Amino acid sequence: MRHLFQDSLNLANVLDINGLSKRYGKVQALNQLSIKVPEGSIYGLLGPNGSGKTTTLGIVLDVINPSAGTFTWFEQPLSKSTKRRIGALLETPNFYPYLSGAQNLRITADVKRVDHGQIAKTLDMVGLSARQQDKFKGYSLGMKQRLAIGAALLGNPDVLVLDEPTNGLDPEGIAEVRQLILSIAQQGKTILLASHLLDEVEKVCTHMAVLRNGHLKAEGPVSSLMVANDQVFISGGADVDQLLRLAQSLPFVTEAHARTGQVQLVLTPGTDSADLNRAFFAQGIALGQLTVKKKSLESQFLEIIKADSAS
Amino acid sequence: MTSLLAIELRKLVPYRTFWAILAVYAALMVLIVYFGSTVTINGQNAGASFYQFPEFWSKLTYIASYFNLLLGILVIISVTDEYAFRTLRQQVIDGYSRANVVQAKYSVVLLLGAACAVFVFLLGLFFGSAYGEAGKASNMFTGAPAVVYYFLQAVGYMSLAMVFGFWIKKSGPAIIAFLLYSKVIEPIIQYNVPDALDQYFPMKTFSALTPMPSKELFEIVTGASESLSMPGAAAQTVLYVTLFCFISYWLLRSRDL
Repeated sequence: MRHLFQDSLNLANVLDINGLSKRYGKVQALNQLSIKVPEGSIYGLLGPNGSGKTTTLGIVLDVINPSAGTFTWFEQPLSKSTKRRIGALLETPNFYPYLSGAQNLRITADVKRVDHGQIAKTLDMVGLSARQQDKFKGYSLGMKQRLAIGAALLGNPDVLVLDEPTNGLDPEGIAEVRQLILSIAQQGKTILLASHLLDEVEKVCTHMAVLRNGHLKAEGPVSSLMVANDQVFISGGADVDQLLRLAQSLPFVTEAHARTGQVQLVLTPGTDSADLNRAFFAQGIALGQLTVKKKSLESQFLEIIKADSAS
Repeated sequence: MTSLLAIELRKLVPYRTFWAILAVYAALMVLIVYFGSTVTINGQNAGASFYQFPEFWSKLTYIASYFNLLLGILVIISVTDEYAFRTLRQQVIDGYSRANVVQAKYSVVLLLGAACAVFVFLLGLFFGSAYGEAGKASNMFTGAPAVVYYFLQAVGYMSLAMVFGFWIKKSGPAIIAFLLYSKVIEPIIQYNVPDALDQYFPMKTFSALTPMPSKELFEIVTGASESLSMPGAAAQTVLYVTLFCFISYWLLRSRDL
């Protein structure tokens, strides 16, 4: 509920990206991307591999030079002081393999100018206290990923940027990392998360942007993107043809198709299924069955992708 | 810059490769200086005269100049490791500016240069006083400023190596390119360019800081080769080091990390 509340208050944007483009030779990796990440949100950057997610994060994290466009963090240009408010993990966990987990975090803490006193607590939070003296190269993928999240958390940043944080993890590791993200978000931090997994964004995020081939395909709160496309199935009270004809005449029905023994409808956003029932009743038809099916993000995602390749 | 150096030391001190290369440097220096006395010149054993102050200082730094390549390789590894482990990228994300990245590596260059200069100085004191002809110890420090020139030379070599590291990003190719440039490409260009011009080239400038002992004798055989005076070469080395730092910065600035 927190994000809905904040939307209504129109709080500041943590990150404001304006017309960002990146070209690698002939490949346009990112094309005129503009998105806003609201404070306190868990913002999912969703798209297949090669859609421009990492490029976007690389640019706003100061390691990739944009071809065009601007961005601000906390309504300021990127600087050392804004960097200190951001904790980030880009692509892979980046550490010195010959150093231990604790030694690596000491370097991270020094670079971030954070007191070493935070290290023990952070290692504990990501469940690596017992293995902190072991060399990084001996860590499992899940441990490496958790160390990277721990490093990102050092200095208690306001924003956490995570690029594919569950990539390559086993189901247990995935569950752990997601739990960690949710518990971090509960502390009021904003999280910007890139993922090619719809399921991940659906389970974790409050807001999302869908990228494909460097283009922004959709953006908004996850809840509104999902509600907008709810599907309704009706049957009974009259034959299917009659139901279909009547449904097509209603102003708030955007799509209606006959299916085996029932009619499938898409309603305009904001319309309630009760409105639908009332309209049919007014025509003297008492519907035998009315079911609302929230479309999964996955089918919406595929639809967005399909719409793009058709155009 | 001291805090940047402290961070660099956290990376280097536990690193075996770092100590292995320094150990090779130290061992080779000690061995060559120790066996230097057995060199025979014109059928005569150099013996104690080899360790004679003040000439011993210039011999020592001339020998040390050959091992600058090891220091260069060390710096290249320290730079290219940051690309291999992607830690450079992470540190820029975590708060470093690109200038900080160069400053951090340059602080390592200065520290290594100073450490090696001190090592050479102690080596000189030890061997000079232990094996040199007694009674001439009053000359002990007369030639000692050669060590300061050696320091500059080592810093020059390592700064150039740093550029190769930032430019090529991969340790193997960067080391090969550095060796090729310093030992093959620039000498070939020097050979085809008049001395008046090539004395300003980086390698020739650096080598002018530790001129070959009894060079005059050598040149009777090979013909004179014009090169800068030591103070002139020192000033030019400072310019080169500054230039190399800027090139490193420019490479970081203009490319994606």
